[in-house]
Amino acid sequence: MFAILAASLAGACLMPLLARVIGRGAGLIIAMLPAGLLAAFVSMAPIVERGWVMGQGRAWAPALGLDFTLRLDGFSFLFCLLVTGIGALVIIYSDGYLTNKTRAERSRFYTLILFFLTAMLGCVLAENLLVMLMFWEATSVLSFLLVGFDSRSPRSRRAALMALQVTAFGGLMLLAAVLMIGATLGTYSMAQAVSQAPALAASPMGAPIVACLLIAAFTKSAQFPFHFWLPNAMQAPTPASAYLHSATMVKLGVYLLARFEPVFASVSWGRPVVIFVACLTMLVAALQALRAENFKSALAYSTIASLGILVLLVGLDGPAATVAMVGFLLAHALYKAALFFCAGSVLHATGHHNLRTLGGLARFLPLTAVACAGASLSMAGIPPFIGFISKEFLFEAQLQSSWELAPLAVAVLVNAAMVGVAGVITLRPFFLGKGKVTEVEHGETFWLVAPPLVLALAGLAISLEPDWITRVALRPAVAAVYGKAVEVDISVWHGVTPMLLLSGVVVTIGALIVRFWRQIHERLRAIERFDLYALERLWDHALQGLASGSRAATLWIQHGDLRRYLVMVLVAMAALIAWSTAAVGQKPQWPAIGELRAAPIICALVGLGGAVAATRAKSLVAALVATGLTGFALAITFMTNGAPDLALTQFTVETLIVVLLTAVLLAVPLANPVTRTRRMQITDAAIASSVALLLFIAVVDMAARPHDAAASAFFGEMSYVAAKGHNVVNVILVDFRAFDTLGETTVIAVAAILARSLLMRRGRTHDVVADLPVHFSLRAAGRTLAWLLLAASVVILWRGHDRPGGGFVGGLVAALSFALIALAYGVDRAERALRLQPLAVVGVGLLCVLLSGLAGLAVGEPYLTHLWWEPAGLPKLGTTLIFDVGVYLVVLGSVCAFLFGLQREASR
Amino acid sequence: MTVLYALVGAAIVGCAIFMILSRNLVRMLLGLSLLATGANLLLFIAGRIRTDQAPIIKEGAKVLEDAADPVVQALILTAIVIGFALTIIMGVLVLRAWRTQATVDARKLESAEAMGAARARDGADE
Repeated sequence: MFAILAASLAGACLMPLLARVIGRGAGLIIAMLPAGLLAAFVSMAPIVERGWVMGQGRAWAPALGLDFTLRLDGFSFLFCLLVTGIGALVIIYSDGYLTNKTRAERSRFYTLILFFLTAMLGCVLAENLLVMLMFWEATSVLSFLLVGFDSRSPRSRRAALMALQVTAFGGLMLLAAVLMIGATLGTYSMAQAVSQAPALAASPMGAPIVACLLIAAFTKSAQFPFHFWLPNAMQAPTPASAYLHSATMVKLGVYLLARFEPVFASVSWGRPVVIFVACLTMLVAALQALRAENFKSALAYSTIASLGILVLLVGLDGPAATVAMVGFLLAHALYKAALFFCAGSVLHATGHHNLRTLGGLARFLPLTAVACAGASLSMAGIPPFIGFISKEFLFEAQLQSSWELAPLAVAVLVNAAMVGVAGVITLRPFFLGKGKVTEVEHGETFWLVAPPLVLALAGLAISLEPDWITRVALRPAVAAVYGKAVEVDISVWHGVTPMLLLSGVVVTIGALIVRFWRQIHERLRAIERFDLYALERLWDHALQGLASGSRAATLWIQHGDLRRYLVMVLVAMAALIAWSTAAVGQKPQWPAIGELRAAPIICALVGLGGAVAATRAKSLVAALVATGLTGFALAITFMTNGAPDLALTQFTVETLIVVLLTAVLLAVPLANPVTRTRRMQITDAAIASSVALLLFIAVVDMAARPHDAAASAFFGEMSYVAAKGHNVVNVILVDFRAFDTLGETTVIAVAAILARSLLMRRGRTHDVVADLPVHFSLRAAGRTLAWLLLAASVVILWRGHDRPGGGFVGGLVAALSFALIALAYGVDRAERALRLQPLAVVGVGLLCVLLSGLAGLAVGEPYLTHLWWEPAGLPKLGTTLIFDVGVYLVVLGSVCAFLFGLQREASR
Repeated sequence: MTVLYALVGAAIVGCAIFMILSRNLVRMLLGLSLLATGANLLLFIAGRIRTDQAPIIKEGAKVLEDAADPVVQALILTAIVIGFALTIIMGVLVLRAWRTQATVDARKLESAEAMGAARARDGADE
């Protein structure tokens, strides 16, 4: 069986390439593949005939319970014969049907059909439920691709999407069912699941498993309320419709139900639900079949009705129901595929498919008319065709089963409607209404005529000579489904039985329907409720709702309003802090107040006042000044609390911010118009206060707890001993945590590059700052002051290792000197004073930082381990100095890049 | 002192958040700068406010005696510089936004988010 699947897969990949080379006629060669597979299966007939089951297995993913196990029993065998046999005919027929397609398209069609054939074989041969699921999904996907084969047509795409959505939903249900079965039983073996059916149904997951299985089967077999995809799927090329959507794929649902009959029969509501859904499906489909205007639609609805009959038969108990199900499965596959072929030939010949406009085609398509008549007689259940026998079985099964007569009544009515449809689709296009069609585009060809004739003849031959097929397929199939051997007696004449009488009733009503079809058809079409309440519309509305819902959700989340994004982030942050604080379940602690000093208190309050003033400022300049006030107050706070390095840095930074942002403020409007409504402001104030309150509680609580100063103590002890520096802060930056500092320096360099690329000089600019009135004292003293600042920056850099200072502060102070020049004499002057491009300075600085670490590597220490040289009488020298110079240059270059870029851009 | 500093730091952060929630880009920028200031103060408290002695080893001594926490200071020092760069980059962006879009109102800066009408994008459909 592995060999067959592998051959089928390989053939599906390779054979269609022939269609690209040969063109017309390639179908005959490609059809050899399914024909060969059919022969391979027939050669296994002796095994199946004896009632044996053939199994093969390979370990695939044992940890998941996923073994590639296959099993061939009678029921699988029947499916395999249908799939390969009809598959061969479909490919031959396609060769004559797809005449107006390019070679590439024909090749694609054959590829899809052969892949589908492989998936179908895999699905009915699979023993492991996960393997079956895989092939089941493959059939859904291939059905999607075949329905949407004409991908340029919007209707095809819609139909394909609908088919995929419905069947893939069913596939998900099947996945759920399979996983639940695996979780309950600990195995994914189908035989195990079926043999332990009562235990499975009695388990807590019994009801969900059965529900999921039923939904999976109903979607695949187009049962109400999931039936609507099948008529739409007729957008597929007719050979694909014949193959997938009538003969094989849609029967997978029936296959699943038949396999799991013991499981759903074990729950009390299983059989009633199946029978009810089947009856409902049959009624809806029969009415719609009479309403259908279109040849293929009529066939599609009659297929749904037939699937309903099959599902009904699976739902009924008793051996006769199984015999009837298997017999009808075979009969339906034969006659319905033939009818689809005939419908395709009519469409191909005339380009029309409306039943009311077609007529008199027997003149042009005589052999097709014969095939259609044969298949229709079988469908109508007229002896001696196989359809007659299967209908006898159907009535027998219903009479024998323990059910009420309601399903029987439905079956009689629906069968009568089927007789009517069969009569209409044969008589109207081919034999009645002579002269309606006066010419055809394409005549009959061998490819178009042979497949339906073969199928119609097969239907006749089997009923007249049923021995072989009964022995090798039907009897083993019934035994496989029913669980024990059942006598299957196929013969046309059983004598005068209740079944024969019912058949007579059916045919009589059917004949009346044919006679009065036009009236019934028009009466039914006039009822608009069918269209109004069609589930298809529900599906359309659901899809539209989904699209508009997601659009609304996107607009709600992705609205483009920065303020609302920030509100969301802040509220989420505050909620997280509050939640995690509450989760700890301890009250926040209060630190000792300690001694209060007046000066620092005043300083802190000034800072707070600056922040409050910034929020209330009417002008942006005032807001900038207020912000700067807070910054300077913080600098003093640092100063009074033992952080001179920070104070120095903060002073310089605040100064530079004022200088640089002034350039921005020169360009943009200074007015500060209200951008928030009163309500928004109140909301924002509430959010800001909550975050501030939470932060306050968190920080106060943190300060009240013991201070873990292990790292600080280590740095304090080792700073001089290991790194020869007195200023611990600087030693941490350039030595202990030099790698972090390297990263931060890089960030600043990247910021400089970003600013430079955003503020690239475009065209000539004139220097507004130079024209601005500059106070005399600044112009007179600027140069000297700048030199002093530059000198100070070098001193700060040099002494940083032992006393407050270092590369960061030094670089900032140096930049301040250039800012001073720019303010006093204009940007051009400052740029000339720097000599180099700012980014070049950044580059040199980054290089220094990177190279200073190499010395450590040279002596076998890790990167950025600093080395020292202490000549007697001279100051100690170390590679930390190179590192710090690098930092200095990067900061200087970056700030100059900001400064020059901003001032130039602002003065344009 | 710690409680006072915590109060001031948290209040500065609150003021900064209020400014950031504004739609005027320059106010947002100033708010961002203020936020960095407030955060640095709160971070400083993490090292505890105990002494006014700088973490500098005295001449002749080999180890640091009682002084402020150096680790927090090293952290804040880089934070100040990075916060400064961030503020300036934001300023650069505001300036560019003003030059190209002629607005400093965040609501009107939508050229990055506008994607055109849905129909216009799906020209291939139907």
